Formats: sequence, C-alpha cells, structure tokens
Amino acid sequence: MPAELATSRRSLNGKCRGHPRAALSANCLESSGEMAERGQRVRGLLIHRPIVYGNTAIVLTPIERESLSTPDHTHRWTVAVRSAASPPGADMVGGGDDLTYFIKRVTFKLHDTYTNPTRHIDKPPFEVSETGWGEFDIQIRIQFIPEAVEKPVVFYHHLKLHPWTPHVLGAPSAPLPPPPLEEAARMGPVHSWQYDEIVFHEPYQAFLDILTDHPPTPLPKARNRVVPFHVVPEPGLNAGGAGTGGVPEFTTTMEKEEYDRLENAKKQILAEQEHWKKLLLEKEKEFQKLQKQIDA
Amino acid sequence: MAVSASDIRSALSLPGPSNPGPTSQPPVKKPAGTSTKKPEGISRELFALIGPSAPSLAAQLAKPRLKQKPNLGTTTNTKWEWRPFKNEARSDSLQLCHWVKQSSDIDDGYSFAKYNVDTIIYTYTLDEYTELLQDDNWTKEETDYLFALVKEYETRWYVVHDRYEYPGGSARSLEDIKDRYYSICRKLVRKRPWSGDETTKSQLLVTFEFDKDKETMRKKYLESLDERTQEEIAEEEALFIELKRLEQNERRFKKDRDDLLRTLLGISSGLPDVIPDEDNLSSLSIDTKKKKKGLAEVETPTSPNVISLGPPIPKRAQPVKSAAHDSQHCITRVELSASSANKSHTAAHLRSYKLPAPKAAIAPKVNQTLIELNITYARLVMPTRENSLQLESLIETTTSLLETKRLVDKLDQDIKVAKQRMGIRQSGEADEASMDVDDTHGEDAEGGRSQSVVSTKSGRGRNKAGVHAVYPVHSMTFHH
Repeated sequence: MPAELATSRRSLNGKCRGHPRAALSANCLESSGEMAERGQRVRGLLIHRPIVYGNTAIVLTPIERESLSTPDHTHRWTVAVRSAASPPGADMVGGGDDLTYFIKRVTFKLHDTYTNPTRHIDKPPFEVSETGWGEFDIQIRIQFIPEAVEKPVVFYHHLKLHPWTPHVLGAPSAPLPPPPLEEAARMGPVHSWQYDEIVFHEPYQAFLDILTDHPPTPLPKARNRVVPFHVVPEPGLNAGGAGTGGVPEFTTTMEKEEYDRLENAKKQILAEQEHWKKLLLEKEKEFQKLQKQIDA
Repeated sequence: MAVSASDIRSALSLPGPSNPGPTSQPPVKKPAGTSTKKPEGISRELFALIGPSAPSLAAQLAKPRLKQKPNLGTTTNTKWEWRPFKNEARSDSLQLCHWVKQSSDIDDGYSFAKYNVDTIIYTYTLDEYTELLQDDNWTKEETDYLFALVKEYETRWYVVHDRYEYPGGSARSLEDIKDRYYSICRKLVRKRPWSGDETTKSQLLVTFEFDKDKETMRKKYLESLDERTQEEIAEEEALFIELKRLEQNERRFKKDRDDLLRTLLGISSGLPDVIPDEDNLSSLSIDTKKKKKGLAEVETPTSPNVISLGPPIPKRAQPVKSAAHDSQHCITRVELSASSANKSHTAAHLRSYKLPAPKAAIAPKVNQTLIELNITYARLVMPTRENSLQLESLIETTTSLLETKRLVDKLDQDIKVAKQRMGIRQSGEADEASMDVDDTHGEDAEGGRSQSVVSTKSGRGRNKAGVHAVYPVHSMTFHH
C-alpha cells in the first residue's frame, strides 16, 4: 500500500508540472499532498451502497422484567444499520455484508433519559440493544472512513415497539391503537426497517477502489420471507400480515412492484391529462367562437 | 444415358437380377443404399474398376437429371368467390365486393386495412400557443389553418403546399410550411409530459427534425445540378478524373518518400511525416500497454498511474468497464457537462433524502391527487435510482395535469363571462329603445338580466363574471 501511494504521488506531481492548464495546476497547488494520497475525483461517476436501518423489538417476559434495574421497561429492542441483503439462512434483517470497509463509526443518539444517550459504535455489528417502554426518534449518524473525504450522514429512525396496526384508509394519520401487551407478546418480535442507499458523488479514485473491492451482495429476487411493513399506505404492500410473524427481507421484486405501482399511477394521470387536454381544446374553441360572435 | 441395366451389372460383375426385366430397379438400388456416391470427375469405367465395394452407378444413372416439374395443373381448381367485405379503414359504411378464395375465412377482415395508418397530428391549446409557439411571421389563425390542412392531407407536404391559400397571408414556400409545422411539433413534444422513456422521446424528436436552411440549400443545389449544360457536365467529369489522378500521385510520392527516409535513417529517427494510420496504431498500442500495466499494478484501469502517463482523458477508459461491472458495484455514470464541472461537490447522502418533490405552492394538490392513487410522494419503500426517477416523472406529470385543470377552470370562467356578455347584448339590443340613459340604473338592470340568462353558474363565477362583464358591455351598448 505505501509503495502504491508513493508511485501515485510521484506520477501526480509529474502531471502537475507537465500540464499547462492553469485550472489544473491551481488545483494541484491547493492540495497536492492530499490529492496524491487519494487520487482525484472520478468525474461523472456516482456510486451507492444499499443499506437498511431500523429496529427489532420484543416484549419482555415478567421474569425478565424483574431482573432489570428498571422494572418499568416493557420491551427489549435493537436498533441497527446494516447492509441491505440478509445473510443466507440467518434470522436477521440485512447484515449480509460487513460495512466496515467504508463506515468508520455509527453513532446512535438515544432519548436523553438513557444513561450515555450517545452511543458510538466503531466496529460491527453497528447496533445498540436496550430495554425501554416508549417509542422515540433515534438519530443515526454514519461516519465514513477518512479515504471517503465525506461528511457524516445523519438521519432518524422512529423506534417501533408496538405491533403494526393497519392504516385506516382515508385517515392515514390515525392508525388503530396498538393491542395490549399480552397480545403483542404473542404476536412475536416487531420489525421496523427502511431500505435506503448511501450515494457518493464523484468519489476519489482511492475510495472508489475501496468500494469496488467490496461489491455488495445483491438483493434476492424472489421473496421467501415476510414483506417488511411500511408506512406507505399501499394496500397490496401491507396486506397479508406484512411485518408480522417472521423476519422481513427486502427484495428486488419489491423494487419492481413499487416501480410498477408508480408506473400505473403515471399512466392513470396521463390518461386523465389526455382527457383534460381534450376538454381544454374544446373549451378554447367554444370560447373563440363566442369571442367572434361578440366582436361581430 | 443409353446404358441398360445389364450393361452396368456386367461392368460391376454383379450377379444377375432375380427377376429379369427392363425395370429391375429395386434390387439394383439395394446396394446403392449402402454405398457412397461416385465422386465427380471420375469416369464411369474407371470407377467401376476401383472395386466391387464401390457404389453402383445404377442409383446415380437412374436419378432424373432434370429438375422436377412443378406440380401445378394437377390440383383441383381453387374456387373464388365474389364477396362483399367491410373495410375497417373506412369511416363511412361503403360496401364493396372483391374476389376471395372460397376457402378463406369470412370474418378475416380486409387485409389491407392495416396499411391505413393514421398520422397523429398535434394540437395545441391557446395557452401553449401564447407561451411557446408565437412567431412574428405567423399569426395564430394562419397556424391553425396550416394545421387543419396538414391534418386533412395527412402531412402530404406537396399537396398541402399546393392547396395552401391563406387569405391575406404572405406567400409560403414548402419549406416555410414544413419548418413551421415541425418546429411546433418539436416544441410540443419537448414541453409536454412524456409517458415513455427518454429514448423514444428523442426518437420522436428526430422524426420532427427539419432544417429549413439546409433544405432550401439542398433544393437549390439540386436545381443547379439539373440546369447544367452538356459542356459543363463534361468539364466536371474531366476535373474529377484529374483530381483523382493527382491524389493518387500524391499518395505514391508520400509513400516513396517515407520508404526512402526509413531506409536511410531507420524507424527510430522520428519521421517528420509518418503516415497517419501508423501513427494512430502505434499510439494505440502504447495505450493498451499502459492500461495493462495499470491493471497489473492497481487493478483498475482508471488509476492515477495511467492518467498521469499521458494525455488520454479518463473518459476514454470508461467504455472498457462493462455495464455488468457497474451494476455489480452500484455505479452510475452521468454525462459530464460544462456546468457540472464547476459545480461544487455534492456530499454523500441517503437516496431517500434527495427524493424529488413538487413545488411547494402546489405540493398539497399533488399530494392529494397522488393519495387517490395510493401514492405518497414523500416516501418510497425502495428508494432506488430507478424508482426515484420514476417518482420524479410521476410528479412532473401530475403537476402538468393540475396545470391543465387550472386552465380549464380559467377557460370556464372566460366562457361564462363571454356568454353573459352575449346575453346582455342581445337583451340590450332588444330594449335599447327603452333604455334609460342613467348609468347606474342601466347597470342594475343589466346585472339582473345577465343573471337570468346565465342560469347554471356557480355563485362565485357569477359574481366575478358580473363584475368583469357588465362594464365593457354596458359601454358597448351605448356605442351602437
């Protein structure tokens, strides 16, 4: 590795000297030391890494609750940032790949009532397990390795403890109240996960090399596990007990389905648009006719 | 050809036929089946001498040398029938008859109907016209007239040009007409929301491409070509031949000179004027060498080592990477533009944080429309690049739908107003004689009358219409 860097530095310096373009040489002067170590930004290239983040929660048994120092806690939960694809056969959402090749640290900021609410996780698994009784928003901050030269990415996840309740159509803001604890315990663990992609714009060559050395495991095509529950009010998506009973998994089929869903909506809108356009033309003609009659 | 079967048998020393007769083909054919063909060019006698295992000639000789006659006349005559048919391409119900084979299906339909392709003629709204299509040389009326003609003659330009006779308009050449029509089509296609993907859109745009200057020049050139005299043609040909000869000489001289230089100084001397082909080749080979070197050292061909070695821009190395490689590594490549080069760096982000969103002013309406279709634009289950692009185009389409609806509403108002004015004027003319000269009194009366004329209007529209309409109409009645 050091030898490689040395050669790249030499060659880059050579380029700076040799290149007549002012803009480029200015660039070189500005940060030639840094540049040499990272290469240069690869123009016109975007690279992303699929991740999932979210939480799993389970109701504590009375015995477990007694052994806790805080007996008012009702749930044990784990919040995590993982790679999108699940490891084959394992009973967990995502986490098929080790993300340490581009993530240096994940910081979870819990509710202030927890001791040491800010938890830094520097090695995998990037997750925090706690007990508690209430749902709240967890701030998640992903810090990348220094080679990335990128600022940390910050986002939020709403900790989900109570089982998903179906959305009432027409009143999306008011889902049904969650079932009582005993029933929730019978329904098994609660999963709340969101798929997302971390996008890097025009990465430095060195960072790009690191990323391409670790291609992500592609998502499975067909679903062989439960569809993750999602807040999008899509009847097809959340029907059939999605998000309950079993570990969910994100698939390319889901992506395709969503694409089709959007496509269908677009088609409907376009059909509507055609209709209105025709109406508009008719009205325009009518209006012109009237105008002429008036002017006459 | 006049060789009998017994001749052949004796030549091949085959046993005699079991059932003697001139047509003893089946037994002779038997060995032929197992043996190979006689190679071309070996005489019959020689081939027969080669050995008993050699194939019998009988099979070959018995074969008909001529192509078989096509069996035409033997089949029974086809029955044809005089049958009425329905032409789907016709809009009128004209009934025609034609001859068809009796065997053909009655409900087959008219097979040529499919060739009657309707050309899609674009139409534009008043709003689109004022916004996009204004042209100093063309009035809206003339443009309308042009589109009507084009529609009537289905873009048969020569016919359109022939019939083109706009009263009071300036003379239009065929190119003028085409240019106007195609430029409008292009603008409309670009502006309107597009349901398909970008490639079909650009393909459609290409079909609407029309360069008026080029077309005029082309026609002028063709005309001048046509008007050449015999002498001019001869002169041109002579000049062309002369030119070819000169070029050939030039090439030969150059080659001779290079050869000479090479023999005198050797290839390393750096020929001042090497043949361009070779130049390209040599630099290319160096390029690939560089790339290989790069690969060996740091795996990727776009590593700084390669870039620094020579002028080739990194873009050149891109096609080397395959689409499969890109998709495996989740790489997207975007076109570099001059503006993006100066742009500051976009920080790393979660895809869902950069989802497209409608303009704030109409966001609630877009949201409402989409919720009816079970879509929330603010969140995606799988915020991948494709889905986010798809969402973007969905939002664009929805925005334009809302815009159209708004225009229709506006036009509804305008129509209401116009109708009201009409109503007022008619009633105004009716009792103009008895009209009071007092302004306020007249206004009241008109307001009342207009309301009775326009009966099916919403309250708000009526109020607005009343305010807008009464004043100008009122004054107009008095001008009469």
